[in-house]
Amino acid sequence: MATKTQTALGDIGLEPGSGVVLVREAGLPYQLPLANADPIAEWISLMEVVQMLCPAWPVRDKPMLGKEWKL
Amino acid sequence: MPNLVEQIREALSMFATVDTKPALIGGLAVVAHSVVRATKDVDFLLEAEAADPVHDALTRLGYQCLHRSMDAANYTRGTEGLDLLYAHRPLARRLLAQASERETPMGRLRVISVEGLIGFKLQGYVNDPTRTRDLDDIRALMKIHRASLDMQQLGEYFALFNQQELLQELTA
Repeated sequence: MATKTQTALGDIGLEPGSGVVLVREAGLPYQLPLANADPIAEWISLMEVVQMLCPAWPVRDKPMLGKEWKL
Repeated sequence: MPNLVEQIREALSMFATVDTKPALIGGLAVVAHSVVRATKDVDFLLEAEAADPVHDALTRLGYQCLHRSMDAANYTRGTEGLDLLYAHRPLARRLLAQASERETPMGRLRVISVEGLIGFKLQGYVNDPTRTRDLDDIRALMKIHRASLDMQQLGEYFALFNQQELLQELTA
């Protein structure tokens, strides 16, 4: 039975186990059109999921490298 | 994910206190230009004259300076990071001046143009070719904004870093 699922793109009907939401949020090289969605709001939503899956995020342990600073 | 949002709000408030108007660059600017990916990179382009007061303010907020040069600085505070690039050359100053302002859940943010962002990503990639993330971001930004990119401006950035062949590959 299809269930209503709230996403940034609106309510969509999903079959249980369809995996559509996970495709969008699992970091696969695939991106649904953002249409009029605010990308920053989308990123906050994404990072809530990421932070649950990966609470300890790697922190920079070495400075920026390189000698080519031309901009 | 309140910590990161709060960290950015705090940084924006600090910048206002020292009367400087930085522009978002790095991973979060990539997001602002519609390439939504996981990132906790908080990177700002800042007028070089503000480097000292911003350094003092960040220190007061509990950040430790990992590295600081005339071009860039890296700060950490526990699990949080914040990177700064200093605009002291004409190109970066122009990009900083032309950054567009937008309302976000973290407050009003200035964001560097997509062409400028690609230029800074290219600079990061040339400086450290092991950072393939920069190249991936360039590819994604060029794909999404293909129809509206200022290719003459992009050509100048790729020529500056002797990467014309890479630009040809990316636009093929």
